[in-house]
Amino acid sequence: MQLQDKYRIALLSAYAVALHAFESLLPTPIPWLRLGLANIITLVTLLLYGFRAAMVVTLIRVILASLFIGTFLGPAFILSLGGGVTSTVAMSLILSVAPRLFSTIGLSLIGALFHNIAQLVLAYFLFIQRIEAILLISPFIILIGALTGTVNGVISDLLIKNLKKTN
Amino acid sequence: MNLKRLLSSITIADKILLYLLILLSFSGILFIKEVLPKGCEVQIEVNGRLVYVLPIEDNRIVSVKGPEGRTVIEIKDHRLRVTESPCHNKLCIKQGWIESGAIVCLPNRVLITIGNREYSNIVDAITG
Amino acid sequence: MKNKFKVQNSSQHSVESKQGKAKNLIAIYCLLFTVYCLLSTVYACKPRKEKVYRKSKILMDTLVTVTGVSNSKENAEKAIDAALAEIEKLDRLLNFFSPESEVSHINKSAGISVIKVSPDMLDVLDMSLMVSKNTEGAFDVTIGPVITLYDFYKKIKPEESLIKKNLSFVNYKDLIIDRNESTAFLKKRGMLIDLGGISKGYAADKAVEVLKRKGIHAGLVSVAGDIKAFGLKPDGRPWKIGIRNPRAKGQEDDIMATIELRDMAISTSGDYERFFILDGRRYHHLLNPKTGCPAEESQSVSIITNRAVFTDAFATGIFILGPEKGMRVLEKMGFDGVIVDSQGKVHITPNIRGKVEFKKTP
Repeated sequence: MQLQDKYRIALLSAYAVALHAFESLLPTPIPWLRLGLANIITLVTLLLYGFRAAMVVTLIRVILASLFIGTFLGPAFILSLGGGVTSTVAMSLILSVAPRLFSTIGLSLIGALFHNIAQLVLAYFLFIQRIEAILLISPFIILIGALTGTVNGVISDLLIKNLKKTN
Repeated sequence: MNLKRLLSSITIADKILLYLLILLSFSGILFIKEVLPKGCEVQIEVNGRLVYVLPIEDNRIVSVKGPEGRTVIEIKDHRLRVTESPCHNKLCIKQGWIESGAIVCLPNRVLITIGNREYSNIVDAITG
Repeated sequence: MKNKFKVQNSSQHSVESKQGKAKNLIAIYCLLFTVYCLLSTVYACKPRKEKVYRKSKILMDTLVTVTGVSNSKENAEKAIDAALAEIEKLDRLLNFFSPESEVSHINKSAGISVIKVSPDMLDVLDMSLMVSKNTEGAFDVTIGPVITLYDFYKKIKPEESLIKKNLSFVNYKDLIIDRNESTAFLKKRGMLIDLGGISKGYAADKAVEVLKRKGIHAGLVSVAGDIKAFGLKPDGRPWKIGIRNPRAKGQEDDIMATIELRDMAISTSGDYERFFILDGRRYHHLLNPKTGCPAEESQSVSIITNRAVFTDAFATGIFILGPEKGMRVLEKMGFDGVIVDSQGKVHITPNIRGKVEFKKTP
């Protein structure tokens, strides 16, 4: 039912916000390097409820989380927003163009990749104008993105299978 | 087990993607380790305007045009020299090969500097 | 189970689908547009960072670099160009080799007539006389007739007799300045003034004045090795200047010491700037006005004080005087300095002992 879907989506959004906020508490050497746990929610939403729902969840997550944490409209918010929107769009495009090409893990990797690329590009244009610094950290960020993307993909898949069962 | 089902559902595309990403990032890291410490570059200015910035690692022959004519610079084996210049005293050519520092051709308004990024980070200017 | 949902969804969808889709699409577009506006605002309101802008040009027969700190690229470039234009103007005025310069004008009228000079020229001449008096005549701009006998490119050293003959034209006391009339006059025919030992420092000072007038609050002007620094770099630190090692063998030992300048100037005179070696002897461009021969007491002299015109001229004068007399002059004038004597030993004024960082020789 539409209504139940909406409830589900709201719940998922809440989980996403919680995960995002929790993740930001974790200390990292690089300010905006994340485990991307909230991407799990995005991916699950995308697979279960489609692009629009996933986008809504992403936007709600980014905006609410930053409001709660207090970084609304700040640099972290911009980067989260850019990364989240781009990764959602990328994942959904791949899904609609070649749905059988990648498994959940592959989709999660793509999501992570585009999320990182978008953040690097945004960081370059808005904050750090020195391309050497950006080029210097890109390999590391992409590597970590690949690793976390894989793990997130596994978790997403398990989650989906679980959710399907309970339905 | 869910895990087993998941592992069997991994596609070839997934693997290719993952391997590509790992390959890309590792080679990126190695590349950066190579490039960073040396960072010597050749800067060629004509009439106060920066015309070329070249790495000293690449052998090449560069020609720049100044008010008096063409000055030809040869970069080879991490050194450079001026091989042709329209100036009267040919001082720039007489300086021969340099590994660091600069060659100036005043009449043709050409300035060639070898920047060692290490030093330009330490001092803002040099007197003497 | 998932299929059931999908079926129900799609039946619901087909009824409201068109309207629902349109609304949702509009909603998404609005959201994205808002996001775009937010991003633009963030970008526009980002405080402009202060950056270091730098431009080099060949002027006064050497490399001139003007550096300025500003949060606006436009302002910095305008100011730097203005500073370079000022140096260019002074070059045209003070250039020894240019036939239209005021220097050439004065030289051509030596022993003949009094010349009306510009305020800049008057200042330079006035200050050079002051330096001459304070260095026992070691700094002397009337050295022209003797320095022209040497050719550092062709490695030509003049005959003793010729030097002696031209020495008679060298005497700063024969340069007459009248501040009220704004005139200058060289008493004897054959006298020549060469302002190479003071003009660069003067130009550096003037360039800094231009930068300040154009709103730059921190920067660095270097005319060859004559440097004037003012203000602090964007990271809050003072400008760091490297002092060249007079006997450097390669790039590793190129710089022998570094010093931080806080609104000060520094100049260095060395026997390695213009020289040639003939029969084992070094002939360089810092000539002793009493003998007409290159001064042999020092390898390099660096002077630090608040004006580059002084550091330039005194560096030349003290080089010729040598370490002992030189240190006394520095004490008297209240300047700081680093003198490397002919043996390579380094003498420094007590005040800067902690502020100069010497690199260890490998």
